[in-house]
Amino acid sequence: MIIELKDINKTYPGAVPLHVLKDINLQIERGELCSIMGASGSGKSTLLNILGILDTYDTGEYVLDGTLIRDLNENRAAELRNRLIGFVFQSFNLIGYKNALENVALPLFYRGIGRRKRNAMAMEQLERMGLADRAHHLPGELSGGQKQRVAIARALITQPSIILADEPTGALDSQTSKEVMRVFRDLNADGMTIVIVTHDPKVGEQTNRVIRISDGRIEGGEEDA
Amino acid sequence: MLDLAREILQTLSHNKLRTALTGIAVAWGIFMLIVLLGASRGLYNATQRNNGVEQSSYASVWGGWTGKAHKGYKEGRRISLKDDDLEPVEKDGGPHIARADATMSVDTARVSTQKDFISGGIYGAGPNAAVQDRVKVKYGRFINDRDMAERRKVVVLQADQARLLFGDEKDAVGKRVDCMGLSWVVVGVYENEWRRTTYAPFNTVMMLTGNKGTIDEMQVKLKDMATEADVKDVNASLRGVLSQRHDFADDDQGAVHVWNRFENYLAQGVANRVLNAVVWIIGLLTLLSGIVGVSNIMFVSVRERTHEIGIRRAIGAKPRSILVQVLAESVAITAMFGYVGVFFGIVVTEILDKTVGQTEFLYNPRVDIGVAVQVTVVLVLVGALAGFFPAKKATKVKPVEALRDE
Repeated sequence: MIIELKDINKTYPGAVPLHVLKDINLQIERGELCSIMGASGSGKSTLLNILGILDTYDTGEYVLDGTLIRDLNENRAAELRNRLIGFVFQSFNLIGYKNALENVALPLFYRGIGRRKRNAMAMEQLERMGLADRAHHLPGELSGGQKQRVAIARALITQPSIILADEPTGALDSQTSKEVMRVFRDLNADGMTIVIVTHDPKVGEQTNRVIRISDGRIEGGEEDA
Repeated sequence: MLDLAREILQTLSHNKLRTALTGIAVAWGIFMLIVLLGASRGLYNATQRNNGVEQSSYASVWGGWTGKAHKGYKEGRRISLKDDDLEPVEKDGGPHIARADATMSVDTARVSTQKDFISGGIYGAGPNAAVQDRVKVKYGRFINDRDMAERRKVVVLQADQARLLFGDEKDAVGKRVDCMGLSWVVVGVYENEWRRTTYAPFNTVMMLTGNKGTIDEMQVKLKDMATEADVKDVNASLRGVLSQRHDFADDDQGAVHVWNRFENYLAQGVANRVLNAVVWIIGLLTLLSGIVGVSNIMFVSVRERTHEIGIRRAIGAKPRSILVQVLAESVAITAMFGYVGVFFGIVVTEILDKTVGQTEFLYNPRVDIGVAVQVTVVLVLVGALAGFFPAKKATKVKPVEALRDE
C-alpha cells in the first residue's frame, strides 16, 4: 500500500466554513494507475493537494509510503515532497527563464546534488521523454506536449514513490493528450504509481481505476476502468 | 555555494533592468560614502601633516603680569623670562620636558643686499624652530647647535625673501646679507606658505641686542605626550619652576602664559573622530535610500515570483532555501553594485588626490584597505538587511496558494 487515507476531513475556515472533504477513506496500491474524477468544486484538487503534502487536513490519518503525514513542519514536508512525490501540473509549472535541462534538474538542486551529476541525470530523463534535442530550449520555445513531457521528466528525476498529476492534459489538444497519457501508461507499466486528477472521462478511461468524488465524498462505487 | 551563486546570477540576469535600476541606488550610496571618507581622510592627513604629534609636542611660554600679590610683591608686576630660566625648566620641569629654547625678535632689523631689502625683522631661535614652525628647508640647512654655540652670524631666509634679495632662491645659499650693521651668511632657504621670518641663531641675536638675558618666548619641546593629564602636568610644572624663579603664585594664570600645542592636538583628534563619525552617518544615510530601494525591489521580486516560489516549494525547496536565495540575491545586488560605487569612488578620490590632494587643507584624500574592508562589511550587512524582510515574506508563501498564483 502506498497511499492510505482514513476518515480524512478538511474544512476551509471563513464566515461560512467550507467542508470540502468529508470522511475520505482511500487506499492506493503500489504500481496503480488511477484517476480521481469529479466535477468542479467536488474537492478533487484539495484531495490531490493533501496527497501531495501541499495542504494539510483537519482530522483523520494519511500514510504515504509508510510515513504518517501529520503535523509536519515545512522543512520535513519539503523533504518528503522532494523524496516521495513527483508533481505534474495542468499548466506545466516550468520556470520560464530556465531551460528544459535546468528545469528537470531543479529538484536535485534542493537535494544538494552537484551540477554536473544532476545535469547528467536530467539529460537521461529528457532522453527517456524523447526531448534530448530540446534540452537547452526555454519553455517558451517548446510545444505544450513537450512542456508537459519536460514536467514529467522533472517529476521522475528524484525517482519518487508516486506521481501526482493535476489535470495533466487540461491544456493540451487531443492528440497531445494521447501522447502524454501514453507516457503515463508506459511509466506505469514500468511500475510507477500514478494518480491523475481529471474531469476528462477520456483520461479516466485510460487509467486502471477511477475514483469518483462528489461534494467532498468518495462515491461508493470505485470502478475499474 | 557555487551552485547558489549560479542560481542567483541566473535570476538576476533574468531581470537585468530591474536589477540595474536597484543597484544604481546602492552604487550611488557607496560612491558618496567612499568620496566622503576619502575627503575626510585627506582632511585628517592634512591636519596630521600640519599639526602631527611631532609638531604638536611643544609648549610656548611667555611672560605676563601678575594678578596676585605674592611674597611681599604687589600684583600687576611684569614678569620677564630670562635665558637662564631655560636650564632649570629642562632640569626640573618633569619627565615630559625634552628641551627648552628661547626666541627673540628684532622687529626693526632690516635685511638687505645691494639689490633690495626686506623689513620684516629678524627672529632669533634654536634648531627646534624648524619642526615647531613647520619650516621645510629647500636649499642649504637650518640653524644648528654649532651656530648657537659659536654665536655665528648666519640666517635662513624664506624662499620669497631669497628671490627678492638675490633674484633666484637657488643662488642665495652661501651669499651674504646685511642686518643690524653686520654681514651675515645665508645658510639656508625654506618654504612655508604662511611664514615670512628671517631666522638667525638665538644666541647671536641675544648678544647683539644687549638685552641682559631677557627673552621674548621660551619654546619647550615635549616628549612622551599622550593624554590631557600629561598636558596638565606639563603646564603645572612649567608654572611651578617659573613661579619659584620669578616669585609669583603658581596658580597666578596671568604671570606667565603657556600655550601647550599638544592640547590642540588632542582636541583636533576628537574633532577628527567626530568628523569621521559624521561622514559615516551621512554616508550610511545616503546608503539608506539604496537599502530601501533594494528592499522594495526584493518585495516586488518576491511578489512577482510567488508562483515560481510555489513551484520550487512543491519540488522540494525548504523555506530556508528560499530565505537563503532571496537574501543572497539581495546581498549579490548590493555587493555587485556596491563595488561599482567603490570603484568610481576610488577613481574620484584618486582624481582629487592628483589635482587638489597635496594642499594645506587636503592631503592624500584616499581610502585605504581598512576602509575597503569596512565598506565590504557594510555592503553585506546592508544587502542582508534589505533582503531580510522580503525573504521572510517569501518563506511564508504557502506552496498550494503560490501554485494558484499566476
